[in-house]
Amino acid sequence: MFIGTEKLTYTYMSGTPFAATALNEVSFSLGKGEITLIIGPSGSGKSTLIQHLNGLLKPSSGRVYFKGQAIGSDKGELLRLRRRIGLVFQIPEEHFFSETIYDEIAFAPRNLGLAESEVRIRVKDALEKVGLRAEQLQYRHPFQLSAGQKRLVAVASVLSMNPEVLILDEPTAGLDPSHRRNLFALLDNLNRSGGLTVIISTHHLDDVVALAHSVFVLQGGRMVLAGPPSEIFTTREKLYDLGLSLPSVTEIMHSVKEKGLPVKTNIYTLAGARQEINRLKGRPGR
Amino acid sequence: MSRSITLGQYLPGESLIHRLNPRMKILALLLFLILLFSLKTYGGLTALFFIALGMIAVAKVPFRYFLRGLKPILYIVVFALIIYLFFTKGGVVLLRIGFITVESEGVREGIFVIARLFTLILFSLLVTLTTTPLSLTYGMSYFLKPLRYFGLPTEEVAMIMAIALRFIPTLMEESQRLMRAQVARGADFETGSIFRKAKSLVPLIVPLFVSAFRRADELALAMEARGYRLGARRTRMYEDLIAPRDWAVLSFILVLFSAALAFGL
Repeated sequence: MFIGTEKLTYTYMSGTPFAATALNEVSFSLGKGEITLIIGPSGSGKSTLIQHLNGLLKPSSGRVYFKGQAIGSDKGELLRLRRRIGLVFQIPEEHFFSETIYDEIAFAPRNLGLAESEVRIRVKDALEKVGLRAEQLQYRHPFQLSAGQKRLVAVASVLSMNPEVLILDEPTAGLDPSHRRNLFALLDNLNRSGGLTVIISTHHLDDVVALAHSVFVLQGGRMVLAGPPSEIFTTREKLYDLGLSLPSVTEIMHSVKEKGLPVKTNIYTLAGARQEINRLKGRPGR
Repeated sequence: MSRSITLGQYLPGESLIHRLNPRMKILALLLFLILLFSLKTYGGLTALFFIALGMIAVAKVPFRYFLRGLKPILYIVVFALIIYLFFTKGGVVLLRIGFITVESEGVREGIFVIARLFTLILFSLLVTLTTTPLSLTYGMSYFLKPLRYFGLPTEEVAMIMAIALRFIPTLMEESQRLMRAQVARGADFETGSIFRKAKSLVPLIVPLFVSAFRRADELALAMEARGYRLGARRTRMYEDLIAPRDWAVLSFILVLFSAALAFGL
């Protein structure tokens, strides 16, 4: 297993009357170079799970694995782990503190102790990876950017560590549809061209589900469903019960089937839907 | 981490003590403290100590929370005991080291003072452990009301305190989230010299201020949108009416006072 957990349990404020179990014996694993979705209603434990994967939170019981090895509690080891597994928090632009975009993105590589000449290269690379032009932007104040650009800079400020894994917690919260698509396209590209392993927690399935290799569904701190998207979205009622919705395309296929046409319902991409409808019309695909 | 910085010590509960009117709790605390300091005899103090224990049992608050509250004053206790042991004279000489003597009156008074201090803390903790910080604030603002006639905007002060209390946990949570977010970007808040550590706080403090100011702006706007005006008379959603149980507690305290007077305790 590349990254995963085994019977991971986490309790907030344990030992007090306010104790709350956020994760309950969660076990899952995913492979290198995959794009993984973690979905679930708010409060299901997505953020808590994600923060375990790079050692920010320590399990109350159970284990977290990276490259087959259990994550320990040694400080130096944790530091090394965190630069290999980058984590972009929810609404990450709220964590900006620098006066220039350059400094913001340079924060992580400087923390790694790199020489300034190397830092400069990392900043330029990171900005390029998210599709922004370094010359244009790097000396402007982060607050001068648009919402979409801020989010990209926040992603760049983690990519500048050159992580092997990129985890994003609700990366599209508060973004409009075009920025959302742009961000997902970019993640897809980083995954395809750079072999970056990507983990995304979200409840905006529509634009991202086409990229996913596997989907995990959390509910009340438990892992309730797991599998490739083509399997997960066939069980519509179950997802409804969990307070989740299907990708719009899958929803339409379900409706079409209910109207009496013999279509497959495990379709979650536009291209797949087009093919299926063409098949039904008796035409060859595409 | 969040446990060590929880604001206030409130423990949720449903007991009689929890449900008492906060104004009455503050008044009762005051009366208990007056009684405590007017007691002269060991008998009276012991009785009041057991009354405190009895009330703790009624409140169903685990005793370890009281022990934790007693810990910070341990040094004061030791210091006070030493002062009393060596400087209060009278009674039988118990111990003589050179010209220093420990006499029985010193032991008697030292223990009396410490027992009084412990009882005092038990009563105060009983109030803070069973009352939310918010109702405590409103309770106190009630007693500050007369100050309005001297130009002090007591309603507004109470509102400021209530808002501050309301947002402390939010800010705590946010600072923890920030800390984790910056640690995820390789920040290190623990090692290095004091200067380095102070510098490493910049990535925490700047975003915290930015969001605090933004939140304050939004809150002010939201309050105005809901009709909040300075100086306007406000009513409360939950009026904390004085219930029969509050009168019962007050009469119980008055009985204690008269008992103390009658028996010369």
